[in-house]
Amino acid sequence: MEDFLYFFTFQDPSITWVVLGITLLGIGSAYVGTFSFLDKKALLGDAISHAVLPGICLGFALAGEKDPRYIVTGAFLSGALATFLSSWLKKNTKLSEDSIIASILSIFFGIGIVILTVLQKSGNPEIAGLNSFIFGNAIGIAEADLLVYGGLSLTIILVLSLFLKEFRLMVFDPNFGQAIGFPIQGIRFVFNVLMILAVVIGIQAIGVVLMAALLITPAAAARFWTNRLSTLLLLAGLFSVISGIMGTYISFVLPKMPTGPWVVVFLSLIALLSFLVAPKSGLLPRMLSRRRYVRQMHRDHLMKALYKAKEAEQAYLSLEEIHALYPFHRNDIQQSLTLLLRQGFVVQNTAGVCLTAKGVSDAMRIVRLHRLWELYLNEFLHIAPDHVHESAEQMEHLLTPELEALLEQRLNYPALDPHQVTIPREAHDR
Amino acid sequence: MITQVSQPVLEVHDLTVSYEQHPVLWNVDLSLPAGKLIGILGPNGAGKSTLIKSIMGLITPTSGYIKIFDKALPEVRSRISYVPQRESVDWNFPASVLDVVVMGTYGKLGLFRRPGKKEIQVAQDALEQVGMTSFAGRQIAELSGGQQQRVFIARALAQQADLYLMDEPFAGVDMATETAIFQLLQDMTAAGKTVLVVHHDIHSAMNFFDWVIMLNLHLVASGPKEQVMTEELLRKTYGGKLNLLTQVTDLIRKQDFNPLKR
Repeated sequence: MEDFLYFFTFQDPSITWVVLGITLLGIGSAYVGTFSFLDKKALLGDAISHAVLPGICLGFALAGEKDPRYIVTGAFLSGALATFLSSWLKKNTKLSEDSIIASILSIFFGIGIVILTVLQKSGNPEIAGLNSFIFGNAIGIAEADLLVYGGLSLTIILVLSLFLKEFRLMVFDPNFGQAIGFPIQGIRFVFNVLMILAVVIGIQAIGVVLMAALLITPAAAARFWTNRLSTLLLLAGLFSVISGIMGTYISFVLPKMPTGPWVVVFLSLIALLSFLVAPKSGLLPRMLSRRRYVRQMHRDHLMKALYKAKEAEQAYLSLEEIHALYPFHRNDIQQSLTLLLRQGFVVQNTAGVCLTAKGVSDAMRIVRLHRLWELYLNEFLHIAPDHVHESAEQMEHLLTPELEALLEQRLNYPALDPHQVTIPREAHDR
Repeated sequence: MITQVSQPVLEVHDLTVSYEQHPVLWNVDLSLPAGKLIGILGPNGAGKSTLIKSIMGLITPTSGYIKIFDKALPEVRSRISYVPQRESVDWNFPASVLDVVVMGTYGKLGLFRRPGKKEIQVAQDALEQVGMTSFAGRQIAELSGGQQQRVFIARALAQQADLYLMDEPFAGVDMATETAIFQLLQDMTAAGKTVLVVHHDIHSAMNFFDWVIMLNLHLVASGPKEQVMTEELLRKTYGGKLNLLTQVTDLIRKQDFNPLKR
């Protein structure tokens, strides 16, 4: 708790710097990542982030120490080479995109690890810091390095905001963009540069192995919540920043704990949460509305049974009779009954269950919808009377009052359904 | 039966196009008059979309050239409007109807500048013309096929061009919408615009077009509807087997290089 307060009250200026850096980095990478997610190029980000490792190592070897200028330049160049190679291979061979990306990723990363191992054997005392590029260590970043990474992040954010319209066009409809004379090739080139930069800025804080997660996961999680590009960008940025800061915090409290994996853990939690609870597209809301529908269905079926009994001059249905009608749904029917009793749609006494006046009116509506739909199927879609019941069993729970009015009008307020049974209406509607 | 015109809006000169090593258009040579509703007819794989894409500069032809308003494409780009095939984009992209239609004004805006009040007004007018005003704020993913098609046409209208090239704008559109769109296109040609439409239904082509181009890997016909829509030419376009041409195409594909490319 003390650590928590110490960290989040920003008493320590170096923590303030790191958090500021992570915030910029999170926004920048989520921003670029959202576009590559929408462009269905998520894997390219993964390939680039693995492919920067040889560049980092060579930059280190050249400088002989962890100089951010050398390392960033090296990383950028090897990321650029990987990007160029993958589009060149795609254009000039018959290999599919996923095999190209998989090969580039593993070849570059393999070479990177080889160089890293050689460097480790060299006995240079500075080498210890190089390991943090694999899984990242946000807390260990020096202030001077932060300036480089933060500045690059800011550049990414600015360029993307300036070219928002162009990037939107490039992702949504590049052909149209080209047709109206936009240099789509050039725009794509700028975007690729931004993408590589977005990877490069994360190498020290998050690490090359997991940087792709920070590019793609925020957008993927945010997509559950919104259909607007502006909101999508905002949410993705927010998710990314939250996980970035939390990951940094863990690295702060638990020394030697790499930041990258923890950022990914928090990102995954946010993504999982979005997948579960996001309105409309989330798993839980969809399950709930399905359950509401099933409840409604059982309730309506019970009401209908009581109404049909009443039509047959039988005012009361005993519990046994009701359960006999729905032998596989005892519990559901019991639940519906309790609810209907409480809402005053039915009353229960020793003779059994009976509709109240309010209940009759509601049950009549369900039966009416059922029979109207049967008649509609029969008259307009020419479906035989013995085939219309199944569909009506479902539609009776769904049809709205507006559609009911439309059905009545189309069918010209019919008296009988296809089975020659009366379609019931309220006295004042008849 | 190929009618050439003087002072054409569009001149396609001896155009040959091939994808990879697959020739899809052979020596197409035609010229089109201004202010007409022009249909491009032909069976699947006849090269109809390829012709439109070549005119729009999206495909580099193997040989031949295209002149629009007697100039090269880059000089007159702002006077041309293009409607790609509906399936060419991902309709799950997070954008509203208005967002997409505003893209029609991007050409005149150029790079960097953002659409403002004026552009939004242009887009809204275009939406009104296709009867989609009430859908302006709707997400494009929620639209039906016919509505998506109308959004694309509205985007083309927002370009405020003189020549319109439309790739299958009636694919997946119901009869009522088709008639409404044809009406709109006829109003446009009456106002002096030229509209070129890739189309597949011979019956409605008969009713609405002024001028018809028939393609089947080569140019079968180009001329006023009354002269071109004959049984003989239609059979040549749709029914007749192009045995020899298809065999030559296969022969070229089997080469290790593309002999048509210089």
